[in-house]
Amino acid sequence: MISCKPIGQRLTALFLSLFIISIVNTSAQDIAAGKALFMSKCAACHNVLKKGTGPALAGLEERGKWADHNELLKWINNPAAYMANDPYTQGLKNEYGSMMTGFPDVTLKDVDDMVAYINDAAKPKVAEGPVVTEEPKDNQNALIFGIISLILGIIALILMQVNSNLKKMSDDSEGIVRPDPVPFYRNKVYIAMASIIFFVFGGYMVAKGAIGLGRQKEYQPEQPIYYSHKVHAGINQISCLYCHGSAWDSKHAAIPSVNTCMNCHKAIVTYEKGPKLYDEAGNEINGTAEIAKLHAAAGFDPNNANKWDPSMIKKPIEWVKIHNLPDHVYFNHSQHIRAGNVQCQSCHGEITAMDEVKQVSELSMGWCINCHRETKVNFNYDSTKGNKYYSIYEKFHNDFKSGKMDSITVKDIGGLECQKCHY
Amino acid sequence: MRKTLIITGCLALVVAMVSCNKTRRNTGRAYMPDMAYSRAYETYASTEALDKADIHYTAKPVDGTIARGEMAAYPYKNDSIGYVKSAEVKNLFDSAAVDMKEAERLYLVNCAICHGTKLDGNGPLWKDGNGPFPSKPIALAGDAKYEAMAAGTMFHSLTYGKNAMGSYASQLSTKQRWEVIAYIKSKQKKVVSPAPAAPVADSAAKK
Repeated sequence: MISCKPIGQRLTALFLSLFIISIVNTSAQDIAAGKALFMSKCAACHNVLKKGTGPALAGLEERGKWADHNELLKWINNPAAYMANDPYTQGLKNEYGSMMTGFPDVTLKDVDDMVAYINDAAKPKVAEGPVVTEEPKDNQNALIFGIISLILGIIALILMQVNSNLKKMSDDSEGIVRPDPVPFYRNKVYIAMASIIFFVFGGYMVAKGAIGLGRQKEYQPEQPIYYSHKVHAGINQISCLYCHGSAWDSKHAAIPSVNTCMNCHKAIVTYEKGPKLYDEAGNEINGTAEIAKLHAAAGFDPNNANKWDPSMIKKPIEWVKIHNLPDHVYFNHSQHIRAGNVQCQSCHGEITAMDEVKQVSELSMGWCINCHRETKVNFNYDSTKGNKYYSIYEKFHNDFKSGKMDSITVKDIGGLECQKCHY
Repeated sequence: MRKTLIITGCLALVVAMVSCNKTRRNTGRAYMPDMAYSRAYETYASTEALDKADIHYTAKPVDGTIARGEMAAYPYKNDSIGYVKSAEVKNLFDSAAVDMKEAERLYLVNCAICHGTKLDGNGPLWKDGNGPFPSKPIALAGDAKYEAMAAGTMFHSLTYGKNAMGSYASQLSTKQRWEVIAYIKSKQKKVVSPAPAAPVADSAAKK
């Protein structure tokens, strides 16, 4: 038999569960509606947890008269009129420097929803584990190969020793008399071989060292502020030209001024949403402390953000220059990226994956020349497409039409002339 | 056997030195440092020595100086009066006179990180509130307030910064700022038109 609960008990349970569901539902809906309203009307100036153009809104019901949502509604609908008899909001205007924009179409229900959202968003979040990133990996390959070759070398030595011992034993047993063996370091063949190897290896190392003089591939200096290109250009997708805009217009890909950094960092004062940062030695970096270094240089006080303007910048940040061309070489960024359509990454490597930037290319003359030999220019082959400037190359147009040339490279338009870069 | 040990030790040392994978923190040596590193003052070189000798190449020009080829300075100051008056300033570069491709490039480089490639106020720095930026960038298109905003007022905000936005006067020249505004105005008109879906899809396809 199926046991039946009394019908009254069942009904109570049913109603209770329905009631609970409805409560949860309405409040979730309110919060969702409040969030949508907050995002469309308030979020441009207010953040729940942080000061922005206006105050942080967490705990707003404990301030001013805002526990009464009717008062809050009056303020939102017409700030100018409300402020006339309210010392609290007058104080806010003095603190933040401007009065809030009025929203006459907001209703009391909207205010309730938005406050519900703000209270929900202000609750301390259950600590989610920070995004785990893979440990900075060391290149272990060289070490492994070194150990293997060392072991093989030792085995070879032992085997040679064993071999000579065995030979001596067999000679003894067969009665063959040989002259005493010469130790290997006095063996002429060995000495000759060793000296050849020494000269070849030594010569190689000397030549390599001499070629490397003045080249700084892999140079990765420590910068005054740990600025991660991975976070800015990679994760946040900021265009290279946002900060290095002069690469488009001039010879230099200039270092941005403090003012450019402050465009974003007068609002972004903490580093919290990105992955954990490590320097090359594997030490963890505190992103917020690095932003604070910028603020110190800018004379910016995060607690008094609205009072800041670019004239308060104290000193420029002395970034360390990584890429250096000798004085006798002319290189122009704008020419390469505008006329040549070269991507920044072609020479600077995968900058969007670098926390600390290092020099990826050799910047040697051979490296330049190789690229000039291989790169095809944006030639206007059929006189319609491509760079119109190249229409002056009459001979190449004829050669291309007659099939003598299949493409025009930088070399063809004078990319190997000495005077192009040295003058 | 001792010899073997010594040789093994030397080999181990060489291997250890080769396999050391250290970050390169120095520039190394140069053949002729005076050729590799400029003797003349280069961009960003410290001018401390010059300043000590009372030579100030980096001094600011006299107030009101206009560079060759640069437009006349914007007349209003960064205050509430200037903000109101800015509405009267007209954009000399209307959409017909502007190279829209260049203006779009300027917008995508400088503005789209916050205001979005579709001008919807949802660029990668905001990302529906998941980006690092704490306040929501305004939707330049689709919001009646900014659709109706005078070009001059936009120019004022772009020049001096407004609320959470910083000044772009150091990144964009006067002409470039007007061009960006012409681009925004041209996009706004498109979104307001009766069929708003088509231009959005169009701009997405262009990218």
